[in-house]
Amino acid sequence: MYPKELERFLLKVQKPGRYTGGELNSVVKDKNSVDIRYAFCFPDTYEIGMSHLGMKILYSLVNAREDAWCERVFAPWTDMEDVLRENNIPLYGLESGDAIKDFDILGFTMQYELSYTNVLNMLDLAGLPVRAKDRTALTPIVIAGGACVCNAEPIAEFFDITLPGDGEEVTNELIDLLKEYKAKGATKQEFLAAAAQIKGVYVPSLYNVEYNEDNTVKSVTPSCGAPEKVEKRNVADLDSMFSPTEFVVPFLEVVHDRTTVEIFRGCIRGCRFCQAGFLNRPLRRKSPETVEAQCKAICDSTGYDEISLCSLSTSDYKGLEKLITNMLPWTIEQKINIALPSLRADNFPKELMEQLNAVRRSGLTFAPEAGTQRLRDVINKNITEEEVLTTAAQAFAGGWTAVKLYFMIGLPTETQEDIEGIANLAQAVVDEFYKNPDKPKGKGVNVSISVASLVPKPFTPFQWEPQDKPDVLIDKQNYLISCVKTRKVTVSRHVPWTSFLEGVFARGDRRLADVIETAWRKGCKFDGWAECLKPEVWEESFKENGIDPYFYTARRREYDEILPWDHMDYGVTKKFLMNENVKAHKGETTASCREKCAGCGANRLNGGVCDETRKTVV
Amino acid sequence: MKPVRLWFKKDGLAVYISHLDMNRCMTRAVRRADIPLWYTEGFNPHPYMTFLMPLPLGQAGLKEPLDIRIEGEMTFGEIKKRLNSVMPEGIEIVDVAKPEHKPNEIAAAEYEIDVWFENAGEAEGFSAGAKAIIDSGVLNAEKRSKKGIKTVNLCELVKKFEISSSENRVFIKTILAAGNTVNLNAELLLSSLLSEFSAEDVDRNIVRTRLLREDLSIFE
Repeated sequence: MYPKELERFLLKVQKPGRYTGGELNSVVKDKNSVDIRYAFCFPDTYEIGMSHLGMKILYSLVNAREDAWCERVFAPWTDMEDVLRENNIPLYGLESGDAIKDFDILGFTMQYELSYTNVLNMLDLAGLPVRAKDRTALTPIVIAGGACVCNAEPIAEFFDITLPGDGEEVTNELIDLLKEYKAKGATKQEFLAAAAQIKGVYVPSLYNVEYNEDNTVKSVTPSCGAPEKVEKRNVADLDSMFSPTEFVVPFLEVVHDRTTVEIFRGCIRGCRFCQAGFLNRPLRRKSPETVEAQCKAICDSTGYDEISLCSLSTSDYKGLEKLITNMLPWTIEQKINIALPSLRADNFPKELMEQLNAVRRSGLTFAPEAGTQRLRDVINKNITEEEVLTTAAQAFAGGWTAVKLYFMIGLPTETQEDIEGIANLAQAVVDEFYKNPDKPKGKGVNVSISVASLVPKPFTPFQWEPQDKPDVLIDKQNYLISCVKTRKVTVSRHVPWTSFLEGVFARGDRRLADVIETAWRKGCKFDGWAECLKPEVWEESFKENGIDPYFYTARRREYDEILPWDHMDYGVTKKFLMNENVKAHKGETTASCREKCAGCGANRLNGGVCDETRKTVV
Repeated sequence: MKPVRLWFKKDGLAVYISHLDMNRCMTRAVRRADIPLWYTEGFNPHPYMTFLMPLPLGQAGLKEPLDIRIEGEMTFGEIKKRLNSVMPEGIEIVDVAKPEHKPNEIAAAEYEIDVWFENAGEAEGFSAGAKAIIDSGVLNAEKRSKKGIKTVNLCELVKKFEISSSENRVFIKTILAAGNTVNLNAELLLSSLLSEFSAEDVDRNIVRTRLLREDLSIFE
């Protein structure tokens, strides 16, 4: 429920439903009966945040406790921000309408580097200082989790705590600890020192970073008994792990508005550009029985007519056919569509595809990622042109007329030939359509290719690689477009400047805090939105703080350099990543974990167990 | 397959749900309630569900009709009970019945409107002035339709208009043309009247109380 004084402005902003709360399954408690008030903050719009599975999990998890109340907070769009600022209404929790500055924990999820300025903006809208050191009271404690905190250094000055790894267990432990320290009237410093002892908790202020003259990191020194290396938190058993049975059902149309159930964490593939594939190792699998029960419960409580079985590579799930065969009778009866994002072209049975389309036909998307076999070997995307074409031919035979292909440019060792290869592969898919004797009459084919730019990320084998500068990427994009000779292929591109900024923050260090704050003070926010991104303001902000952004992106790092995120431990060893980097440059592939364990080292965090190699898995 | 007319109330937080969002919201509610909906038989089957008179964003409705079709047997009482147990805040099923009239028989709608002014003087002035304008029979406004913008004399679409004031509040009870052919949004009438007094910014509350037929009998 929004604050009363906001009522008269709600019809003056776009989509007031973003700000009202009151959705089905949203949780309202008596604030006097809880000890901890938790604001789950998503630093982007309602529509994006409400699509995020992590938020749904943690929202339900905190609200399952009697002593805590979790509310949702999203970044208000600029029209609403103006209303809030003009009328001195502080940022509030959607469930209570109360100002979040009075809450105990503000938990941000950091999924995307270009939402960093939104965090500052939301803290400021809440009425809080943006720097952790200026928030001296014990509460609110401002914390962050999500993929970006694998290198929290650029935002380390703003957060009190970050939580690398899985959030399900550590969130409860942190709430317990804060409750205890709040009750005994402890100081923030005392609480932070104690929190740093919990596995999977990083307290940036307890680490002192020194730099070499060449601006690389010289040393990172912990204090107050904080660990040398912060090990990410790992949930060992996905079947017993907390998982929600209710989702808040938005009124507004959001990006993903459906039942989403995770089927496994981690990935067996080892694509060398893919951060998620390495951050989430070792592989942990949820049993088909648990998956099905969770799907049913969520559909019942929400009324959703679509289920997404989600993972990094869904067709790699052992037992997928059995799971879907079990689910089809009740989903067809209830007119529920099953969506399988992240399918691979090489291992998805045609029959299953046909069964899945019994209710509604979804789009068809492949991600070859690179245009030639040589480059696909470099990035370890072990999929062949033949596999793409065979699957496309099957799809066309099944009546599809549109196919989406995802590619990346700016990959290590890339040449013009590789870029031509993208256009050639798209053309080959078009040709496949016309080879089909039963193709639908009067209908053409549309192959749309989406071209992203590689942003080398921490904890991947490409973490040492230089990133192409924006002008180089623009040249490559233009070259690709000149190679496309047919109107049946449409090309969509990413904004190279966006990838550049993403790259700076992805592999940045603590000195970037000043740049982020300067840019935000000059009006930068929603940097991931093309209509809001202000490259000239960012350039100014780098300059004013004496920072060369290309130091973070354009430089090849030496293997022996101390990387700003080296004191984080995500399980996968640096030695393994180095070896993968060497193999990439030689064009050598690494087999999937299913064929042969590559010895990445991540099972160390899971009691030596990786569900992929465990014999007991059926 | 049996046609069923649901009558719902929409107020409180639910006034901020747009018509498009209402569609999705009600489809899901009917699914949660496990009502045996009839699905269309096309390539992409979807439940048959028609809102007879979309309610503009920001307005409340006391008794709004929604037509669905069901398969098999379920009593109206059961449908109402099940739906109300799964409805989000601000939406309530007030009645479930057999459709008596055809949707195109809706010809008018009755509204109750509250307006808050700074003081009693302004409220009184507006009350008297608005009445004079409606009595004069001329209030031109630009009306957007699918064919573009055109100027319309709103008074021709006002079937009944009562206005009074008490302290800083003005209370209007009015019947306006409604339906597929001619329709007047109560907000357009109100803002057109308010702009004559340069008072566009005042707080207001608009409630549609019921739908009527051509002879102003109740649409059922």
